[in-house]
Amino acid sequence: MPVTDPFREGLARGWKTHDGSQLEGDLTLEADVAIVGSGAGGGTTAEILSAAGYKVLLIEEGPLKTSSDFKLLENEAYASLYQEGVGRMSKDGAISILQGRAVGGTTLVNWTSSFRTPAPTLEHWAREHAVAGHSEEQMAPWFEQMEQRLGVAPWQVPPNANNEVIRNGCEKLGYSWHVIPRNVRGCWNLGYCGMGCPTNAKQSMLVTTIPATLENGGELLYLARAQRLLISGDQVTGLECQAMDSRCVAPNGHKITVKARHYVLAGGGINTPGLLMRSNAPDPHKRLGKRTFLHLVNFSAAQFPTAINPFYGAPQSIYSDHFQWKDGPKGPMGYKLEVPPLHPALASTLFAGFGQSSAEQMAKLPNTHMMLALMRDGFHPDSPGGSVELRSDDSPVLDYTLTPYGWEGLKRAFHSMAEIQFAAGASAVMPLHSDARYMTSLRETRDQIDSLSLELYRTRLASAHVMGGCSMGENSQMAVTDSLGRHHQLRNVSVHDGSLFPTSIGANPQLSVYGLTAKLATQLAERLKSS
Amino acid sequence: MPVLSVENALLSRRGVLKVGACASAFLATAGLSASLSGCSASSSASGFAVLRSSDLAFLRALIPVMLAGSVPASSMPDAAKATLNTLDDNLNHLSPALLSLTQQLLDVLAMPVTRGPLTGVWGRWENASPEQIRHFLQRWQNSSLGLLKMGHGSLVQLVMMSWYECPQSWAACGYPGPPKI
Repeated sequence: MPVTDPFREGLARGWKTHDGSQLEGDLTLEADVAIVGSGAGGGTTAEILSAAGYKVLLIEEGPLKTSSDFKLLENEAYASLYQEGVGRMSKDGAISILQGRAVGGTTLVNWTSSFRTPAPTLEHWAREHAVAGHSEEQMAPWFEQMEQRLGVAPWQVPPNANNEVIRNGCEKLGYSWHVIPRNVRGCWNLGYCGMGCPTNAKQSMLVTTIPATLENGGELLYLARAQRLLISGDQVTGLECQAMDSRCVAPNGHKITVKARHYVLAGGGINTPGLLMRSNAPDPHKRLGKRTFLHLVNFSAAQFPTAINPFYGAPQSIYSDHFQWKDGPKGPMGYKLEVPPLHPALASTLFAGFGQSSAEQMAKLPNTHMMLALMRDGFHPDSPGGSVELRSDDSPVLDYTLTPYGWEGLKRAFHSMAEIQFAAGASAVMPLHSDARYMTSLRETRDQIDSLSLELYRTRLASAHVMGGCSMGENSQMAVTDSLGRHHQLRNVSVHDGSLFPTSIGANPQLSVYGLTAKLATQLAERLKSS
Repeated sequence: MPVLSVENALLSRRGVLKVGACASAFLATAGLSASLSGCSASSSASGFAVLRSSDLAFLRALIPVMLAGSVPASSMPDAAKATLNTLDDNLNHLSPALLSLTQQLLDVLAMPVTRGPLTGVWGRWENASPEQIRHFLQRWQNSSLGLLKMGHGSLVQLVMMSWYECPQSWAACGYPGPPKI
């Protein structure tokens, strides 16, 4: 059965798009609402506003790639679909940061895990961060709306062997585990979600809200970097964009000037604070870019006597929250346990060795299981997160601080992962750390973990969830926007993305972004009527 | 040892916090002087999008050491060439800020005045033994300078990722490749 490419069909029917790399001169575009970023927040906002009758312009820095472009190859996908050509990392280079950068944003390349914002997180925001109106009950209808829109449902197919390890290990130990809800329709269970879905099964923004926006007469500008908001008093009067070359590396010299009644910023963590900083946006209490969180991730590898083939099958289908809330939201760092898919290039960068020892590890890839722990950062005073700053070329970078509190969480997570892997039948386990090697018993592995020097560079650390930096809340001394995403100092600017979150989520954040921004966009549509 | 004395000098005279800034200035100066003096070509080498001729000697010495064990000796020349081409393409997609950092790192490794003290490899890269290269990588990994640790991490990731993106690496790691759609 041949796979169709509905996006290309739409383009052939006359959807209105502008390719920055193909411009031959400067351009001016006008809209009721300009939306910077086409990921979870931007896509959701665009669909709702265009359905309400507003003329929407979606602006995306990255390229337009559709299902027929997705060849399931790591080299092509990483270089073209991820921020900074997949090179993004914390300022000190110790934490790799995976964020999408293409039409559809991170929704194009995420692993489809879809969780509602946990109730303890929403309660913590209300109590500690003066977030109003987003209780579990108040958010439920918005999550339900987006779950229906994007086909979110617990994965019905048996988990692949990589995910099955969590289920089997937790069952043995009496730890809780659950099936992950995924935003897919007619998924082929291939395992290449991180390289762009070749069958359009993943209900990313590329196949859902963006087509709906373009059907409604909205426009899409891609390969265009939002460089600067033009600010006059408490109003934004325009947005300057730089057209990018087709690799999305360097500006090609052409400018796009955007004029709109309202500007929605949805470039995600790091990028949205970066745009506001480049624009010299008012920030009287120095909150911009602060409290940026990562769900910092560490990893544990295991060898199994049977084949795992961690490169095939839905990448994430089982999780455990056993260690997430057991000491309350403000206790020692909680974490969620999941697995990553392991394709060769990704695996080699996680093992981060070379020569004979690397070759031996890689030769065992088919029998290798990998587990990861997502640290729930930002709930405890000793988990302050990081700060976004601008490099000398005005591009944003995150300076992330790991405290002893954070390291303690990572260490416990190494123990939990090893325990579950052995309980599930692993023959050997190795925490991903430069000084670690495979150990064949839980006792030896625990001793090894306790003896490791947990420090930057020696410990493999990564993040795929950048949150915060434009924190929402009613107290303008603590937050960049109010609880509806309205900028505290700029009247016609809203933030609709994960940078609003006052802490990390404690779960893969995409559905948190969908639900919250669906609510914010619906209320924005109402406000625009009367303004 | 001269190698140790450079790092020790940085460490002994300044506090830990200042070491980073000092080394950073040292590396940046090295990169800058390399560019100014014409030691490092500013344009890409023939056949490459980004890699400069001054980068090639080092990378051609480094890559076979990193790939050792994952490819038979007879296939090494082809594997190293494919890795170098993929690495060039990956660098060609990095953000300008990250590319510039990477080029500074390669400048420091190319210029004799910095290569010797910081890597312990005093002769040309073409003549460095695999043992010398492994030793240099190990000393960077265990250095007290964050910048050298970061440089170590960057080199390993750039090379290994590029190699395992090449289809000829897949058989040895039991990866059958992507399914046909």
